Amino acid sequence: MSARAVESWTLQPLTDFVREAAVRLVLLMTPAGQVLAQSGFSRAVDVMSAAALGAAIIASTTEMARQMKQAPFGFLSHQGQRHGIFLASSVTGRGPVVALVVYDLDVSSVGLVQLFFEQLAADLAAASPKETVNKQVLAADFERELSNSLNALFGR
Amino acid sequence: MTTAYSQALDRVTRVRGVRGAMLVAGDDGLVIAEQLMEGIKGPAVAALASSLATRLRRAMAAAGVGNSLFWHLQCDQGALLVVFSGSGVLVVAVAEADVNVGLVRLELLRAAEAAG
Amino acid sequence: MPDDIRALSAQLAQDPQSLVFLRLAELLRQRRQLDAAVRVAISGLERHPHLADAHDLYARVLADKHDYERAFDEWDMALRIAPNHTGALKGLAFLYFKVGDVDQARAHLETALKVDPDDASITQALEMVHQGVAPESGADAGAAAPAEAIASGAEVAPLEDARVFAGLEGAQEGLLLLDPAGRVLGGALKDRHGADVTDAVAAYLAGVSQEAARTAKLLGLGNWTGLAAEGGEGNVFLKQPGPEALLLVVRERGVPMGRLAVIANRAANAASRWLERQS
Repeated sequence: MSARAVESWTLQPLTDFVREAAVRLVLLMTPAGQVLAQSGFSRAVDVMSAAALGAAIIASTTEMARQMKQAPFGFLSHQGQRHGIFLASSVTGRGPVVALVVYDLDVSSVGLVQLFFEQLAADLAAASPKETVNKQVLAADFERELSNSLNALFGR
Repeated sequence: MTTAYSQALDRVTRVRGVRGAMLVAGDDGLVIAEQLMEGIKGPAVAALASSLATRLRRAMAAAGVGNSLFWHLQCDQGALLVVFSGSGVLVVAVAEADVNVGLVRLELLRAAEAAG
Repeated sequence: MPDDIRALSAQLAQDPQSLVFLRLAELLRQRRQLDAAVRVAISGLERHPHLADAHDLYARVLADKHDYERAFDEWDMALRIAPNHTGALKGLAFLYFKVGDVDQARAHLETALKVDPDDASITQALEMVHQGVAPESGADAGAAAPAEAIASGAEVAPLEDARVFAGLEGAQEGLLLLDPAGRVLGGALKDRHGADVTDAVAAYLAGVSQEAARTAKLLGLGNWTGLAAEGGEGNVFLKQPGPEALLLVVRERGVPMGRLAVIANRAANAASRWLERQS
């Protein structure tokens, strides 16, 4: 399944990461849960759920680190019976970008994902637009933007 | 790093031509313990050695030659040598291309025993 | 069990390091107890891996079992250890003659004759080569016969040229040539139970090769040139005879890794020439 991006500068770094780390699903998003690119998802509802949950985990753990008077955690990793989940953020010219990654334990490993995430972070930083545009998001705009994003992410 | 791990890796790194040695969690590809010279990226070695070990293990099982005990990746500018301990830990050495393979293998086997 | 075999077996049991295994295995071979001869020969080789006579002995047993490919490897190894070993020279001459390479057969016999001019079996074998009759393998050469001395300019050519290619084409076990996508180009692989595992191994090997290349590149080790691995029940060696091919050699555990590397290098050279001819 090929990668698709709302913001085109994320596409090549994402494609390279998926190939090298041999991961199954990737979601690139802002900490607020706005999706920038995805790979491996087949349904819009899955993307929205994953983005919301991923953003919530990042927010919770960032607050946890703040209460512990520590810098935010570098990455989070959960391992199930067949799959692992890896969640990490990196800094780009566009602002922080969060990666939610799901991989098969038979095919990849947390070590491999972590290794190539470093490259992904560097590639995203290099490819990102350097100027950031701050704009106020209105409710109507949000609905339209979400719809446009989903269309872009699923090639509709 | 515990003393036992440290001593185990010490013996490996003392072999001339070895640039680093480490203990790696075989399934995760994460570093357990390491002794590396400058310029060797431990997490990269761990992740890639573990990934190659997994693929090689499957190929060898399919070929009917049994479990992997030791492997040696020969390259024109260096070498990677790996021994498997019974507990799923890999003992890894990064070395020069002309290292004494027999000696490194021996020390890796000893380190694997010590690592348990 | 005949008395001589019993006596030699007892001697060997008492002193496993002794060279009596050579006589014991030869006796077993002559009595066509080939499996027992193999076991004794391999056990002796494990203790004396640098003894040319041990390799020569094992090669004779293998030749009797019609395992010519491995017999060739063993005689080749004997010659590397002792370049004037007449047993190995005669054995290789026999094998070269079997595959139709009369020039190589003659060259090996003439070299043997220079080393041991009084060995009547060599002169007889040379005579047979000239007449186009396949000489028996070195150990079984019959009674002496006068033979003309043949002056020949042929030198003993590198051993890889004639047989290894044939071996590659006809290999039914232990040798596999693949393209980068894991498709079989030549050879075949069987596991120790005799089951064909060619396709399964080929599928996994493509991934191994890619991972080896990536590992070497990302760790700054240059290009990978080979991957040797010891398994609980056998050893393997992986090489790239060309940019678009992968070669796997598999041998049982008793074959030392150093020797496996030699076999793999020769097979890779033959595979490389074969690939050039295909393109």
